[in-house]
Amino acid sequence: MVKVLGWLAVVGIAAGLTMGSAVAPREVTQGNVQRIMYLHVPAVWVAYLAFIVGFVASVVYLARRRDTADRLAHAACEVGTVFLGVNIATGAIWGKPTWGTWWTWDARLTSVAVVFVMFLAYLLLRQAVEDPERGARYAAVLGIVAALNIPLVHFSVYWWRTLHQPPSLLKPGTSAMPPSILAALLINFAALALLGAYFIARRARVLAAEAEALA
Amino acid sequence: MPDNWSFVAAAYGLAAIVFLGYWRRLGRKEREITALRADRGSHQPSRTGHPRPDAASRAPLP
Repeated sequence: MVKVLGWLAVVGIAAGLTMGSAVAPREVTQGNVQRIMYLHVPAVWVAYLAFIVGFVASVVYLARRRDTADRLAHAACEVGTVFLGVNIATGAIWGKPTWGTWWTWDARLTSVAVVFVMFLAYLLLRQAVEDPERGARYAAVLGIVAALNIPLVHFSVYWWRTLHQPPSLLKPGTSAMPPSILAALLINFAALALLGAYFIARRARVLAAEAEALA
Repeated sequence: MPDNWSFVAAAYGLAAIVFLGYWRRLGRKEREITALRADRGSHQPSRTGHPRPDAASRAPLP
């Protein structure tokens, strides 16, 4: 099952790269640098999804104390942090030629940086607490608190004046995006979602094997 | 606006490095666990409480 997910992700990434580089047209205002969007935007969507999985698994762990829920939360939050890191880095690379700066402390960038640091703290906390049961409990609380910040990140572009543009898709009403650009974006999202699911499944399996080996 | 292909290449290259690095990290962890299991399996104590010597390392009978 995990292997199948991995191969599906490889096929999806190949299709996504083809769509993003060859099929989708050159954007009129920004030129070809806009193609970073096909990586930058899906990466944050996958990170959001992973953090939502982590949030639900953490709630389940706190309610029922099931080790499988704890391992899923750990895996999802770790993979979400990787994708969020890719989102922030590719955003900085896109920002330099379009905004003239790698980074600015506007509401969207600052809020996403806060969430990233919170999930880094989550992963550090996992390493720092020696008692695994207590570590899992603390991590579940931090995972829930960190995930609650995701709406703040998403709506920051509406609530404050920011340099970052408002969302083109995850908003009420129809999208003004041309169909070819929208198709490339959605295919890349599917590819990265498959990659994220593969990473989470494999990481959860590693955590289960680790727990079994150390028992 | 110029195309800035170097920025596009940098973004995709960086993402490839991060994802491949994470994939390799998972593989390394799996190999570590397999080695740990094998190590534990070969050091199971015998019923007398003495470590059971590996069959390959035993000296042949005279």
